[in-house]
Amino acid sequence: MDHALGVAMFAVTLLLIFVGYPVAFTLAGSAMLFSAVGMAAGYFDLDFLSIFPERLFGIMGNSILLAVPYFVLMGTVLQRSGLAEDLLHTIGLLFGKRRGGIALAVVLVGALLAAATGVVGASVVSMGMISLPVMLRHGYSPTLATGTICASGTLGQIIPPSIVLIVLADQLGTSPGALFRGALIPGFALAGLYAAYVAFVAWRNPAAAPALPDEDLEVRGAALLKRVAFVLLPPLALILLVLGSIFAGWATPTEAGALGAFGAMILAALRRRLSFDALRGSVFETAKLTTMVVFLLVGSTAFTLVFTGLDGDLWIQGALTSLPGGRVGLLVITNLVVFGLGFFIDFFEIAFIVLPLVLPAAQELGITGEALVWFGVMLGLNLQTSFLTPPFGFALFYLRSVTPPEVPTSTIYRGVVPFIAIQAVALALVIAFPELVTALV
Amino acid sequence: MPKLLDAIDAASVRIGQLAAWLGLGMVGAAVTVTLGAKVGALFGAPLRFVALDELQWYLFSATFLFAAPWALKEGAHVRVDVVQSRLGPRGRAWIDLIGGVVLLLPFALFAVYVTWPTAMESLRLREASPDAGGLARWPLKLAVPFAFGLLFLQGLSTTLRAGAVALGRAAADEATAGEAR
Repeated sequence: MDHALGVAMFAVTLLLIFVGYPVAFTLAGSAMLFSAVGMAAGYFDLDFLSIFPERLFGIMGNSILLAVPYFVLMGTVLQRSGLAEDLLHTIGLLFGKRRGGIALAVVLVGALLAAATGVVGASVVSMGMISLPVMLRHGYSPTLATGTICASGTLGQIIPPSIVLIVLADQLGTSPGALFRGALIPGFALAGLYAAYVAFVAWRNPAAAPALPDEDLEVRGAALLKRVAFVLLPPLALILLVLGSIFAGWATPTEAGALGAFGAMILAALRRRLSFDALRGSVFETAKLTTMVVFLLVGSTAFTLVFTGLDGDLWIQGALTSLPGGRVGLLVITNLVVFGLGFFIDFFEIAFIVLPLVLPAAQELGITGEALVWFGVMLGLNLQTSFLTPPFGFALFYLRSVTPPEVPTSTIYRGVVPFIAIQAVALALVIAFPELVTALV
Repeated sequence: MPKLLDAIDAASVRIGQLAAWLGLGMVGAAVTVTLGAKVGALFGAPLRFVALDELQWYLFSATFLFAAPWALKEGAHVRVDVVQSRLGPRGRAWIDLIGGVVLLLPFALFAVYVTWPTAMESLRLREASPDAGGLARWPLKLAVPFAFGLLFLQGLSTTLRAGAVALGRAAADEATAGEAR
């Protein structure tokens, strides 16, 4: 019953992560440190580490992780070729005459495009750069503008086909398709609530979200229709096709992702926007992001092997299954831990570190099958809320980096508060009514 | 010494960028396999390209294994910047120096050490795919210790450069200190 070394390993590793060396190597290095300490103390058997090569080959041949580079490439190609920017611009023109039109366009594009990447940073930064200047120039209140961009940028975490959901599925041992279907209702409900909030503000407080004046709607009538047909519909059709083929069971997420990446390149090439620079940028960014994700998994695999060898897993599992309130206690603690960690570390670290520790306890408490999908969607929603919450939320930092200095940080903080309230309501609903997730699974 | 470090950095960038382009090959292989199976099925004869299907994850593996040193050099591996962002360039260099010596280098060395026998065994047996028409397995297994060897070399370069900055022998260079995400 001696878990002392396991507990020490957990605490020291967490501390080391916060010091700021790359997380992947901190996890792997701490595995090295503690296997040495464990062997010296006579607690650790090196056999636990000798299966590392086997685990590594498992990661290399993992057909779910294979989907990650495909979806990232699809997203980066749409962004770097400028198709995403055109999309936002066109939707803005379409809704521009209405009050709050541009903010609505941001919510829509966030739901659609972020869905293709699922990378919070990329979508917040690009939407911030494109739409914030437009909204500010036309007299939108900076609070509404920044809040909308931050919140919409995080939507891609939860709306399929996000790579967040793919990684969650891999870690939970369920199929990505099931998680995609489970996230469909909560994801689109969130987008709908965001849009409703924007419309409400525009109605109650017209000065905060003015309509565009006629002279700014440079494209109208037939020209606008042509624009819609050539700029708006193709990427929209591509995303719907990718999603549809997954939901119809015609293709696995990996297959659909590959076709989606290919389709994005074709669309960009047809519009003569696939320059060599854009392609190279997309390919390099995809490789770096994929490497980052996979190496986190490699590091956490090494960590888990040693942690298990030191009986740390038994300690965690014992602690989590003996919580007061059983299942409810586990849900409360997991949600609090994930929300807290979400302030400091990004989604992938949390998925790779926390999930393997929580999962056995959850399964012992009867969270299996459909309930596991619900558990995953709930964690995804929770993290998304965490990324929005001041003062540490990731999305806020990303937007700050592209916001003009005359907009103070406190404005961004005030801007996201209503969206956090919406998130909290959605999270509470998903926890209270698991059918919202499981209905489509 | 600086020349040697420059050579390591340059090699990491070259190899990493080359590996990144394999991503396009992945898309090509996957599209062919998927369309072959799906469109073929419409005509009652789904086509199976076993070798191309395996090529997909061979390329995936090669991409992340050989892009890792490049990603390290460019600071693309995520870090938690709560403490880091409060430190100056020299403070950050200390983190990279100590982290390199204590965490990264021992792990890279261990990974080479532990995957080498598997690779040699696979090479000796000329290990093949368990599926008929699949690709030879041994080149992939052989690639693993080499990739971690390259990661070790890049780790050495990054750590030594950080050491020079930490000890005040060199000015901080963005690429070495890494970009906090």
